[in-house]
Amino acid sequence: MRASRQLIAAVAWLAAVVSTGAQAQAQAGEWVSYRDAYRAMVQFEKYGGPKNLLQSQLQVQSRDHAGLGEGAQLTLTGKTTQLNLPLDALGRTVFPLQKAAYDENAALVLNRKGVPFVLRPQVTIAPRADGQYDAADLRTACAQALGFVRYVDASQRARQCAGVRFVFSKKETAGVRLRHPEGGEQRLPEQALPVTSGAAFTGDPDEGFPIVTWRFGTAPGRVQVVTYNAPLAIVPIFE
Amino acid sequence: MNKLLFLALSAACGMTWAQTPATNPMPDGSRDMYVGLGVQSAPRWDGTGSRKVSALPVLQVQWSNGLFISGMSAGMHLTDSPTFEYGPLVAVQPGRDRSGTGQVFDGVGSAGTTLIGPVPEPIDKRNLRGTGLDGMNKIGARLQGGVFANYYLTPQWRLTSSVLYGAGNDHDGARLDLGVQRLAFELGSQHRVSVSAGVSIVNRNYNQTYFGVSLEEAAHSRFSWYEAGGGLQEAHVGVRWNWALSPSWMLTSNLQAKGLLGNAAKSPLVERSTNLTVSTAFAYRF
Repeated sequence: MRASRQLIAAVAWLAAVVSTGAQAQAQAGEWVSYRDAYRAMVQFEKYGGPKNLLQSQLQVQSRDHAGLGEGAQLTLTGKTTQLNLPLDALGRTVFPLQKAAYDENAALVLNRKGVPFVLRPQVTIAPRADGQYDAADLRTACAQALGFVRYVDASQRARQCAGVRFVFSKKETAGVRLRHPEGGEQRLPEQALPVTSGAAFTGDPDEGFPIVTWRFGTAPGRVQVVTYNAPLAIVPIFE
Repeated sequence: MNKLLFLALSAACGMTWAQTPATNPMPDGSRDMYVGLGVQSAPRWDGTGSRKVSALPVLQVQWSNGLFISGMSAGMHLTDSPTFEYGPLVAVQPGRDRSGTGQVFDGVGSAGTTLIGPVPEPIDKRNLRGTGLDGMNKIGARLQGGVFANYYLTPQWRLTSSVLYGAGNDHDGARLDLGVQRLAFELGSQHRVSVSAGVSIVNRNYNQTYFGVSLEEAAHSRFSWYEAGGGLQEAHVGVRWNWALSPSWMLTSNLQAKGLLGNAAKSPLVERSTNLTVSTAFAYRF
């Protein structure tokens, strides 16, 4: 009985010491373990399937759905590591895979005090500088993304590529047109795709981004999809 | 961000099944290690109502080559597939003397820690006279060897299995563990809770060692002769709660409920077929 009390007292003492140490380590903002983020983000690097048309980024989402606001950025902080990671309009940044940061057990700190957040890996289709996408390339890119999703999640094996979603900045005009191939009996005029409002990624709290969804359907392989402003993201759609 | 993350640095006499943390891809030459100390309240041996409070060392290490140590288990991930894990596994089965099961270690899990539930009896307030294992032969700690295989239904749910051989008086006890785990994984949150459930199937030699009573033991103890056969031995459910206090410090807690089944439940050593094990520990991440 006495031994039990001494043991419990020892653990209580340890709790006090740990609490003090943890407070001393407390960061200026909310934090996430770099090792935990690394574990999720490195899967895309390790994936051996085709992925040349894709890009992988780390997305920050606020837990309270209030948004991150302008100027949000992550900072990778360790004993010898200090790296600022600016976020784009969708809260994404390129995740640095660094052995030094891993070995130091570094933290990813958000420059928003009291804003709890989650990190999600987001794999999207890499945008082209000329804004012109062959339908066949978009189908291939979507298939590459689906291949990766199936690699990390066995429950996704029954899903199929259905289309792509172009996400645009709220500050610019959104526009996507379909350009039909030349050389037919009659050339069809360019066809503007409807712009709606929605979330960039499934589950995102901000549903106010201008988006254009193009479903593959029975579109001929030679059709071209043309964007007139650079999209923030091209998101593959699986159904 | 999916599965991953399981620290399970806990072990207890109530947790004899092997722990296999999720694969943990990391830079070549790196490792992820947790070391800690806590306290545990557990039955003195499987099936008794008598409890003991003891110190609980915590240890979990994973290396970039796939090797891992988690509590009383060690093994190696032979694949880095996100959906299928398998490899060799060794585990220490604690011994048992007249006072009960021996010292155990814990991991931090692949999923989380526990919400600590109420302990049904006041700790260490029982009169232990006449409730011990006096007259029963001592069972030494045993090193078991085997394999594990886990399959992820989704990044959050995994089916687990392991086979271990080498427990018991004659090192010929075999044990098959089958389970399902909900890996709690949420970046951004400092709290992660995971749940698990499973069953254990053992051979006759295993059950006879830990739940049987030989004629010699019957003559020297308060227990009557009992020959335990093999089969379904137990079902268990557990919850683990990991609270990251800082990037380096974690509070890991675990609650396990175990129900003995079949021949084990009928053993004269078993005073109650259902038992709880509760533990909490601080761990430092290196």
